[in-house]
Amino acid sequence: MVTPVTSLGTRLSPEEIGYLTAGPGRAAETALARLIDADLVRVSRQGLVSAVHLGDHGALTELERRTLSYARTGARFDTVVQSTAYSTEMKRLHQHLLDQKLMQQPRRRHEGWWFSLAVAIVLVVLGFTAPAFFLGVPIALLFFVWQRGRKAVTEAGAKALRHVAATDRVHAVALYGFCGKVNGHAVADLFELSQGIVKMLPLKQNRKRRSSSDGGGGCGSSCSSCGSGCGGSSCSSSSSGCSSGGSSCGGGGCGGGGGGGD
Amino acid sequence: MAGITDLGVGIGWRSEIDLTVERLPGVDFVEVVAENLHIGHLPESVTLLLERGIPVLPHAVSLSLGGADPVDLSRVEHLGRIAEAVGAPMVSDHVCFVRAGGLDSGHLMPVPRTKDALDVLVANVKLAQENLPVPLALENVAALLEWPDGELSEGQFLAELVERTDCWLLVDVANLYANARNIGTDPHRFLDEIPLERLAYVHVAGGVDHGDVYHDTHAHAVLPEVLGVLDELCSRVKPPGVLLERDDNYPSDAEIASELAAIRAVVEKHRA
Ligand SMILES: [Fe+2]
Repeated sequence: MVTPVTSLGTRLSPEEIGYLTAGPGRAAETALARLIDADLVRVSRQGLVSAVHLGDHGALTELERRTLSYARTGARFDTVVQSTAYSTEMKRLHQHLLDQKLMQQPRRRHEGWWFSLAVAIVLVVLGFTAPAFFLGVPIALLFFVWQRGRKAVTEAGAKALRHVAATDRVHAVALYGFCGKVNGHAVADLFELSQGIVKMLPLKQNRKRRSSSDGGGGCGSSCSSCGSGCGGSSCSSSSSGCSSGGSSCGGGGCGGGGGGGD
Repeated sequence: MAGITDLGVGIGWRSEIDLTVERLPGVDFVEVVAENLHIGHLPESVTLLLERGIPVLPHAVSLSLGGADPVDLSRVEHLGRIAEAVGAPMVSDHVCFVRAGGLDSGHLMPVPRTKDALDVLVANVKLAQENLPVPLALENVAALLEWPDGELSEGQFLAELVERTDCWLLVDVANLYANARNIGTDPHRFLDEIPLERLAYVHVAGGVDHGDVYHDTHAHAVLPEVLGVLDELCSRVKPPGVLLERDDNYPSDAEIASELAAIRAVVEKHRA
């Protein structure tokens, strides 16, 4: 499996790509996809995930180790994904993305975000009559920038993602999810998983729809794509600001199950 | 008995490994745990195997035929209905008890090998047979203890059971090995004493050593010594079928396939 290198030289692991694309649920799907790809877990017709008995080796990341531990005794497909999405290992992955400046704490877009911009424009116009009005423009613009909110994924993060392609089936999951499509084909088919199994996952969209015929997401963990980490009992209680939702979460919407943050 | 003469090599179907069982090469038949199936809701995988013409044999674990209480006919009826649903040529359970005094042991407990215990077992087996649509095979269990005052060897006990009930035998060679290791019984003597012409099929399973004790876990690889017991059995009789039981810690498809291949190699060595 190739680890994509972006033009900035940022090496993104499939799990990081999954997280940046659609949040912790997608990263959890990606970890599971890699384990299926490496024959470290098997999925039954009924969607029971069980670890292939190999002792403790085989997992490459701590997220995979966590996923394997959930599958040790056999667990439902969606339960394994959700449990991994809410794990401390996932919080660490999120922290790593924050440290790398690929993600940031998102801020909700204030309902009246356009108002400060309008005030700034008015102040500029008035400034031509009385220059003192110009002094208010930076203040209004500051308000505008603050109220406009910001996305969970930084410019650097978005840039790093830009050239990532579904070079294999694990990356296909990272980018489109088990419920998504790649080149018009269901990603689930790449893993010989039935739609009945992958549809166990709650509905979930990518942060931002990808172009072409590829379906961005469709389902995923209930951890939504906005906010900062899928921890905590509910989205609104997390300190991330995920409670805001809104446009800062990107085009795909902050939808999904409305669970924890990103 | 029609349809049981050549089952080949099989594996215990378990829901966790349903797709593995479907795609493994050389699975000639499967066994399902009857208590895990529900009439009218057969797993898709079992239906698919049946469509392929793979025989599916229900194996019960809860009849408690060796128990002092009369056999629970609702359990027998369920087993019979599963047999009909999958078109099985026979069903099986164990020579053991799992309940006593209303309590569930959670284990397959060995039956005391006394004439009195045999009478009780025979009565229960006959009652079960009368209420089953297909023949019944009974399996020897692994025991960690022997009841005192046994009057018969295990082989003699089973021989008399067959004599009096006309049941079939399901010989678990891993259980024979476990008993040899843990309570010092002799698998050769067992094979000398049982009526091999009533052999329905054979179980093979894995286990692990824990100090001086061998645990018949069904969750570890099959030991060469267990294949040795199979080899001994095959030198005496051509078993109609041999089935690998794996119930937990499922290994890779390749590993399961190689265990099946090892079993097949032993069987075919004697056919050659
Ligand atoms: Fe057995």
